[in-house]
Amino acid sequence: MKKRYYLNNGVQVRKEVFGLLFYDYRGPRLYFVPTKNLIANDFFNGTQTAEGLMESIQTRYSQSRQASEQWVTHVLTELEQKGLIHEQSIC
Amino acid sequence: MSNQYVDMGLSAPVNVTWEVTYACNLSCIHCLSDAGLKRSGELTTDQCLAVIDRLAAMKVFQFNIGGGEPFMRPDFLDLMDHAHKKGMVTCISTNGILIDDYVAGRLDNPLVYVQVSLDGATPASNDPIRGTGSFQNVLRALGCLRNRNIEVSVNTVLTRRSFSELDSMTELAAEYGAKLRVSRFRPSGRGKASWSELNVDQQQMLAFSDWLNGHLAVSTGDSFFSVSTEERRSLGLNMCGACKLTCCISPEGNVYPCAFLQDPEFLAGRLPDDDFKDIWQNSPVFHSFRRLEIKSCESCRRFDLCHGGCPAIAYHTQRKLGVPDPGCLANCVSVKPVLKEVRP
Repeated sequence: MKKRYYLNNGVQVRKEVFGLLFYDYRGPRLYFVPTKNLIANDFFNGTQTAEGLMESIQTRYSQSRQASEQWVTHVLTELEQKGLIHEQSIC
Repeated sequence: MSNQYVDMGLSAPVNVTWEVTYACNLSCIHCLSDAGLKRSGELTTDQCLAVIDRLAAMKVFQFNIGGGEPFMRPDFLDLMDHAHKKGMVTCISTNGILIDDYVAGRLDNPLVYVQVSLDGATPASNDPIRGTGSFQNVLRALGCLRNRNIEVSVNTVLTRRSFSELDSMTELAAEYGAKLRVSRFRPSGRGKASWSELNVDQQQMLAFSDWLNGHLAVSTGDSFFSVSTEERRSLGLNMCGACKLTCCISPEGNVYPCAFLQDPEFLAGRLPDDDFKDIWQNSPVFHSFRRLEIKSCESCRRFDLCHGGCPAIAYHTQRKLGVPDPGCLANCVSVKPVLKEVRP
């Protein structure tokens, strides 16, 4: 099962030096997410699976599989809990 | 608010205050823009569309639209449609006079917020400030908007006159499915002449701070972070967002740090001749504003809540930047005298 993530309705994201800046028009609210350059903002167009992102980080930054998986899972879970993104699984 | 990330410098504003015209069908005595007649040099339709395109390309998320009265522009609804097609949120500040069922239908969009201005809970308190009949016009506009899927707020400027009617205004807004939003009175535009007559005194500002704590649903548009307490810390900014999170575009396309600092010394650039991205990233005026420090506030126990307050009020009352907001809670509770306003 591979997971892709998409922005929730009313949410926008853009790249900044610290990482990602999310804007949720319900509020509106801002969320500053310090991902540096590890996650591209078009990741949330479903262009890459979560697993693909983990592998990319593992390769680019010589991280262990476990470390990259933990980090990506943590970030995406936080963003889901804040109502910014949702996951769509594809088999 | 994650100041550390803001201080790194954002690639673009989060939102831009855009005054689209000086034309207005009212003559409110405290108008920050000194609005009335349309002035020569206001941006054309094509120029406005280009502004929207440029800011959308930079991923500016939101326009805070004002004027004058935005609906006085014949092309206003078309401009808003264009912004919405680009995915931009528009927060429109209006006196409501030109809102009818047709306009409300055009505004029926989840990307639209509407703030209808009102400065009293009754015609007797509102109309001397905003004009005869303006109170009833607001109620009529709120009635048109109520039946739509539009986030509506009633916006009032905190003055000595509106201070005692905040509860009544909160109830009035709720009757129309709206929230109350309270703006800070600043001595710019026609506000300079009415400042001494209308500005709240120290005791009223202290009482207002307490009142805000008991009314967390009331928004302030980050006008009152100088008097914010811990209870409202998570509700908005704890510092001035000018040149860091936001800036202002005037009807002629002049770019300024904020709507309340449109004196010539704060002119950062002119659209369409200058590129907005270049202004945002390279303007010496903006760089200077971003480095603004209010040293005398840094030892204050409230510094983390306000960072010295509103520079615009400090500037208009003391004719310089880098000095404390005279309306801050620390000043209110100290033995310092209220700083006298500077006559224009």
